[in-house]
Amino acid sequence: MMKLLDISKKYGDTTHKYPFEPYNVAKNFRGKPAYTFDLCIGCAACGIACPSNAITVQFNDDKSKLVWEFDCGRCIFCGRCDEVCPTGAIRLSEEFELAVKFDKSALIQRGELEVQYCTQCQKPFSAKRLIKYSFECLSKANVSEKRLEEAKEYLGVCPTCKKQATVANFTSGKEMVIE
Amino acid sequence: MKCDTFIEALSARVKVLEVTRQCEDQVTALVELNDLPEAVRFLYYDMGGYLSTMIPNDERSINKHYALYYALSMEGGKMFEGDEIAQDEKCFVTIKALISPDSLTYPSVTPLVPACVWYEREAYDMFGLVAEGLPDKRRLALSDDWPEGLFPLRKDAMDYRYRPDMKDHYMEPEYEFLRPEGSGIIDVPLGPLHITADEPGHFRLFCDGDTIIDADYRLFYQHRGMEKLAENRMNYDQMGYLAERVCGICGYAHSIACIEAAEKAINLEIPARAQAIRVICSEIERLHSHLLNIGLACEVTGNYNAFMHIFRIREYSMKLAELVTGGRKTYGNVVMGGLRRDMTGVEIKESLKILKIIETQADEVWDAVMDDQRQMKRWKGVGILDKQVARDFSAVGPNIRGSGIKRDTRYDHPYDFFKQIEFDVAVVEGGDVFAREMVRYMELKSSVSIIRQCFELMPQTAIIVDPKFHVKPENYALAYVEAPRGDNVHWIMQGSAQKVFRWRCRAATYNNWPSLRFQFRGNTIADAALIVCSLDPCYSCTERVTVVDMKSKKSKILTHADLKNFARTQKESPLKDLR
Repeated sequence: MMKLLDISKKYGDTTHKYPFEPYNVAKNFRGKPAYTFDLCIGCAACGIACPSNAITVQFNDDKSKLVWEFDCGRCIFCGRCDEVCPTGAIRLSEEFELAVKFDKSALIQRGELEVQYCTQCQKPFSAKRLIKYSFECLSKANVSEKRLEEAKEYLGVCPTCKKQATVANFTSGKEMVIE
Repeated sequence: MKCDTFIEALSARVKVLEVTRQCEDQVTALVELNDLPEAVRFLYYDMGGYLSTMIPNDERSINKHYALYYALSMEGGKMFEGDEIAQDEKCFVTIKALISPDSLTYPSVTPLVPACVWYEREAYDMFGLVAEGLPDKRRLALSDDWPEGLFPLRKDAMDYRYRPDMKDHYMEPEYEFLRPEGSGIIDVPLGPLHITADEPGHFRLFCDGDTIIDADYRLFYQHRGMEKLAENRMNYDQMGYLAERVCGICGYAHSIACIEAAEKAINLEIPARAQAIRVICSEIERLHSHLLNIGLACEVTGNYNAFMHIFRIREYSMKLAELVTGGRKTYGNVVMGGLRRDMTGVEIKESLKILKIIETQADEVWDAVMDDQRQMKRWKGVGILDKQVARDFSAVGPNIRGSGIKRDTRYDHPYDFFKQIEFDVAVVEGGDVFAREMVRYMELKSSVSIIRQCFELMPQTAIIVDPKFHVKPENYALAYVEAPRGDNVHWIMQGSAQKVFRWRCRAATYNNWPSLRFQFRGNTIADAALIVCSLDPCYSCTERVTVVDMKSKKSKILTHADLKNFARTQKESPLKDLR
């Protein structure tokens, strides 16, 4: 018994004054994923990687916006979204104070992205930023001016229309030349 | 090859229809259904096996039958010096038997091998397979008002989202406890209302005065149906994280066991560095789990001072986990084929400093606890697990090592990096609470040394293999990891489309529960909480306890505080005005 008291004396105070002083976490702590809307291109890689379906990327009801949504209540802080994000729009932060009082909707974070309409069928199929991002990547990829001009055309076409166009080209005997 | 000697010996005894090999140290022998009890008994007692797990499986889509797999760890009986199989002969032998869907019955193994009792009860719950001759046929996992005739793990039984209607409480069937004969026995239910500590469990103690003469208990109040969930909607990327959430303490061990079962089924070898980091993380888990349990064993007996000090040290082990994995508890870095996160040189340096702190401070506090005569009096001679009972029920972890049986998966079946690591298996004779806590302290020390060895021997390789592997439907394998509480055994049969066909997850404590009633017998109710705690099942306690005197029909409701106070001080028995 006395030995324990000696140990107490030796080590003194071990508690932190939290919440009156900040509590520092380790450098690579996996806290709440922080979302930077300006960087998000709506590619949905995080939504596919997320094992617990905390992140969803889908059109809203009238398909006027592409909605990125993150439900912190479902998040397991594995960091897969961080790994796959091509632009760094989602990064694990050091934030760990996540409790909400009654209002569960406070755990949900949303980002609404402008949609890209297909130049052929006028249906929405992707986010504007993703198309822009793809074009930027191509511009940096050292391809010819002609190809870039073509890309401007076909990037704005939805996969369904692209498929139909390809089939039409094949059946009508038009040759597809790929440089 | 390994295992062949056992199959030869088994063939001499019963007719073996077919032998298949899953990986280097695992074979499955198919036997006739009527030979099943004898085959399991022969391997268990005559050849020195321990029951690792039993897997019922609905294989009607594969071979038009249900199947039972009794997985035995062949390591020797270990009842006396030298009663052990040579190190390179140790392996797993699985006895398989097929059951026709018309009969749905099989001869029970439990009368010959008591360790099977819970597994066979659960086989009825989940698949409706009836063990003929099983002495205790009550339900195990499902609730009392679960619809009759609905067996959730049958492939055609129900959607995984289906929730049967609940019955009103007065319509609910009464659960029958196994009560001892005799007059003057007082029933003390312990649970399951308002759990203050961790897990719900209902213990029914049958007392004569303050002495427990027998006990019965039911658990599974929190059965979450993870196996069904995994079969239906998880892929292998998600399963590791689901397995990590099986347990709040040994989650990482579950996560490796689950993923390694899938890896073993296709013989996928992971890089040495990934193996080493898996070992490091699971040993960090052991550090915090053992510190937690030693702390609680002090707290239950009222030694708050020691409890606080031990938890102060435990905080360093949580810091260590945060440092090397980024999460204090759920490490989330296991994927099929390796790991997601490497360790940097800076992290290793920092870790070594923290390990030093844990080592020296744990020594200081443990010395102080050892010097405390009152503490020793509460631990010594309490909750004795007899060596033979431990052998019969295949107990695992510190529970069996405290009874003088040298059983440790890290030593018997070295997995991952353990082939290159030297450590002593902590074995203490006695079987009481003190012996189990002593084992935990010794393992604490060896964990620190294992982590240091890993840091030293860890090669600079990749941490994940090229993900160009394919799962093969109908392949299956066992994986085993020594978690802080004993070995976690996972069995996976792979299915098509990146999904599992059947996942059987057996947590360590599942093997420790059936022998608990023998540990209770002869102790006082003041020690009941301590005995449960020393098993390390996450110490369950209750908000209130009802005591009924069978003779006078008097009853009394005890508050949580009453019982806890009695457990700490052993004064002022709450039962005295009933006598």
